[in-house]
Amino acid sequence: MSTDTLRRPAPASRPVRPRGARRSPGRVVVDVLLILGAAATSLPFFWMIFAALKPRSEATAVPPHLLPQEPTWEFVRTLFVDLDFGRYLANTVVVVAIGFVGLFLMAMAGYGFAKFEFRGKTLMFGAVLATMMIPVQVTMIPTYLILNAVGLTGTLVGIALPTLVSAFGIFLFRQFMSTIPDELLEAARLDGAGHGRTFVSIVLPMSGPILAVQAVLTFIAGWNSFLWPLVLAGEQSKYTLSVGLALLNQQVATNPSLQMAGAAVMVVPIVVVFIFFQRYIVQGFTMSGLK
Amino acid sequence: MPTSSARRTSRASARRAGVAPYLLVGPAVLVLAVFGILPILVAAGVSLTDLNIRGLGDPSTVEFVGLANYSRLVADGAFWNALRVTGILAVVGVPTVVLVSLTIALLLHTSGGRLAQALRAFYFLPAITAIVAVALVWGYLFNSQFGLLNHLLTTVGLDPVPWLSDPTWAKVSVGLVAVWRASGLNTIILLAGLQGIPHEYDEAAQLDGANRWTRTWRIQVPLLKFALFFVTVTTVISWLQFFDEPYVLTEGGPNGATTSISLYIFQQGFRYNQFGFASAGSLVLLVVIAVVTLVQLRGRRLDVD
Amino acid sequence: MKRLQSTAVAALATTGLLLGLTACGGGDETPAADGGSTELRVWVMGDAGKTLTEVTKDFTAETGITLKIDGIPWENVNDRLTTAVASGDGPDVVQVGLSLLPTFADAGVLEDITEQVKAYPELDPSNFPDAVSPQALTGTDAVTSVPWVSDTRILFYRTDILGEAGISAAPTTWDEMRSAAKTLAARGDGQYGYYIPLWDNTLPVQYTWQAGGDVIGADGAIDLDTPAFGAAVDHWTGFFADGSAPTASDWDQTQGFISGATPMVVSGPYLARAIDEAAPELEGKWDVATLPTNVTGTSLFAGSNLAVWKGSKNVDAAVKLLAHLADPEVQVAWYEAMSELPTTADALETVAAADPKVKVYADQLADARTVPMVPGWDLAANEMATALTDIVTTGADRDSRLAQLRDKVAEIEKNY
Repeated sequence: MSTDTLRRPAPASRPVRPRGARRSPGRVVVDVLLILGAAATSLPFFWMIFAALKPRSEATAVPPHLLPQEPTWEFVRTLFVDLDFGRYLANTVVVVAIGFVGLFLMAMAGYGFAKFEFRGKTLMFGAVLATMMIPVQVTMIPTYLILNAVGLTGTLVGIALPTLVSAFGIFLFRQFMSTIPDELLEAARLDGAGHGRTFVSIVLPMSGPILAVQAVLTFIAGWNSFLWPLVLAGEQSKYTLSVGLALLNQQVATNPSLQMAGAAVMVVPIVVVFIFFQRYIVQGFTMSGLK
Repeated sequence: MPTSSARRTSRASARRAGVAPYLLVGPAVLVLAVFGILPILVAAGVSLTDLNIRGLGDPSTVEFVGLANYSRLVADGAFWNALRVTGILAVVGVPTVVLVSLTIALLLHTSGGRLAQALRAFYFLPAITAIVAVALVWGYLFNSQFGLLNHLLTTVGLDPVPWLSDPTWAKVSVGLVAVWRASGLNTIILLAGLQGIPHEYDEAAQLDGANRWTRTWRIQVPLLKFALFFVTVTTVISWLQFFDEPYVLTEGGPNGATTSISLYIFQQGFRYNQFGFASAGSLVLLVVIAVVTLVQLRGRRLDVD
Repeated sequence: MKRLQSTAVAALATTGLLLGLTACGGGDETPAADGGSTELRVWVMGDAGKTLTEVTKDFTAETGITLKIDGIPWENVNDRLTTAVASGDGPDVVQVGLSLLPTFADAGVLEDITEQVKAYPELDPSNFPDAVSPQALTGTDAVTSVPWVSDTRILFYRTDILGEAGISAAPTTWDEMRSAAKTLAARGDGQYGYYIPLWDNTLPVQYTWQAGGDVIGADGAIDLDTPAFGAAVDHWTGFFADGSAPTASDWDQTQGFISGATPMVVSGPYLARAIDEAAPELEGKWDVATLPTNVTGTSLFAGSNLAVWKGSKNVDAAVKLLAHLADPEVQVAWYEAMSELPTTADALETVAAADPKVKVYADQLADARTVPMVPGWDLAANEMATALTDIVTTGADRDSRLAQLRDKVAEIEKNY
């Protein structure tokens, strides 16, 4: 066996173009379409951000303007000063952090399903995939009862538990890890490494890209979580951002600018995280063998 | 495909593995079992009772009613309406999502370079926002009095559209927001699939004289088969469970035009605390999803063979 | 088959297990920490938590009872109720919207505080409007909740726009209302006379009352087969038939009023605040009036009561808090902070004297009723709203659609 097979295959590159070559007309059309598409897709965001800065009189004005004519920070300030958004933010961060434990569990499971044969494997993997098909509201009451029985309701751990692990994530890890050459693992085994060592010092480092992907997806899911924090929080001081945002929805007379400010607070950090990590996300999916 | 030697190797390591795989797989599977499988089993049991909020507090008042909840479900016109709505939205929505994601992925891949990398972020934005926030914004954009969309329409001389008040338009609006949200992740998956295609295939085709269109359809798309299949299956599952968008935008209205099965179950069952009934509906939905998914998986296996 | 059987057994066993867990799990409340200071858990709707802390500062100072306040989003109160019932872990004091009172009662979570209430003159039922007396709410003299804030529906109208159209005063009868709306709708394209929210399932009920009838029969069951209900339906659908009311389901009443597209609307006092905030320049150009009458001018009595959670370990402290919040001064302070009307007669008088608009609210409250306090009403009311919406937006035939509605309601009643 040549040593080439032990190295990860080089990622297929994008079509190489000589530097400085003028873009063909076809490509220009493609670029224009992409820009228009991106503008249309992100319009709601810009609307949200600007609406957060509009005074009440402009919020539902006719005709609507995209940009505020008299921008104000008062609503953003209200969120953190009068309402408890600072605390909701902190809770959300904790829930996200706990979600990263789930990340580790999913990686372990993906490795187990990818590289081992064992009794009940098909059944278990089938059950894992089956959980993707379960409608979530039906799990609400039983889940609450279970967490209540072990005293975890009203805690941030309890809030993070129901969605700690996702079948989608396990599937992705499995896909990716099944492409890790067996020879590599055998070699480690022959060197005397136990399964745990192998996992931590070989499999995980090689799974960098997919870990990054899942990390971002975990972050997003935790950040946006609404149902479980709502049902399990028990008290307002444990609410996350989503639930805090829902609180702003008064029965009839709403304050659009305040709601938009809340929505913006929810969205902006995620966008920042994503912009930093987006390269890894695409890379991770590429390397996960999804072809 | 693992070679026979690799298979022999892995089987050999399996024999030595012993308890290791169970330790690796165990925690995650346990969590899923406790918070996924177990609740659905409970729901199956509850669906055979008349559990409501009184029963929740006082279990002695709960009665076993056999399949009564299921027959009530079947007899309810609103249930069939919800099935129809879900079906229409899925049949139209899933191909739309796949096509839109594929188109954007192809455009991004073809463009390459810095611009595409920068624009990627914009296309992914809808996927990363909380539905609570998304719904608020779209609700304001769709509004018939002061919404931006109608304003834009009237400026170019078209009639304003009753986005959320007309039964057909409401389906379009709800579907539009769902497509907008769903495309992000799927675009990334397909884009990654495209970037995984070895460049040599494309070059070879170019040398053979194939034009861009042929290259796209005859080479790239077929090589994306697995990624496309994955995207399709997961999108179908998610559209059968369609809930967030109609819940926040239209509450299933107008007149049930956008009430999906999930929303029907939620409204009839959970909002009015008829948990036995809601559980029956959830079980039915689960079965529908399972059947549709199995059909797709079976279909692909036939295709590959 | 065998697999199915064992799965079924597993399912039933698990259900039994979990229901058993419900029964024995939870139920312990926040006990008095050191025997000295008590802490009360309070649930309020929306973001009223801050204001509640403010108005109870004196209470805590005097009695040493501290409050732990949690805000519940309006839309999700049912989820919280359900999980609280399931686990037995609820608050001590809870705000209960009047439309939800039957559900809470049915769930068995309201403590009977008839005895405790006797110790506090503020909580005497005679202080509060008859519409929310124990008899009206529960059919007995048992006190399971205490009125807190009230809300009603009055007619908002643009004096300037009506004036321009030659209407010098607010309509006072059904007929005047129909013709005024028609006149105003004739102003032009996109202009209407009157906004009827399609989702509001209380308006047809108010019309039924105004027609001299009720939606509940003598036997306590929902009855939508009466001439009064028929008259209400005709009045309601008439506005749409005339073109006086918009059919858009996402119409914003505040915006419509401010822009003048719908210069008349039946709404609650919260609208007044919204108008003042969004369009202060409209001051002096609009006013409120009691509802146009037919046989009567009965309006909706909405609002919230306060109740003590059954099984609370701090019932006495909780009732003390209820008494504090029923104190006229505290009620006035709450109104000034939240614009939610008081329920005690003294407080109502005070706030009415200070603002002519509030006098209108108070007058209307004197002729107002709550939604029927029967479980299952909520479900039936939504079916009613759907049926009416069907008639005006899809042109469904009135009689057959109403027959359908009655069948649906009969079914609903069966399940309750």
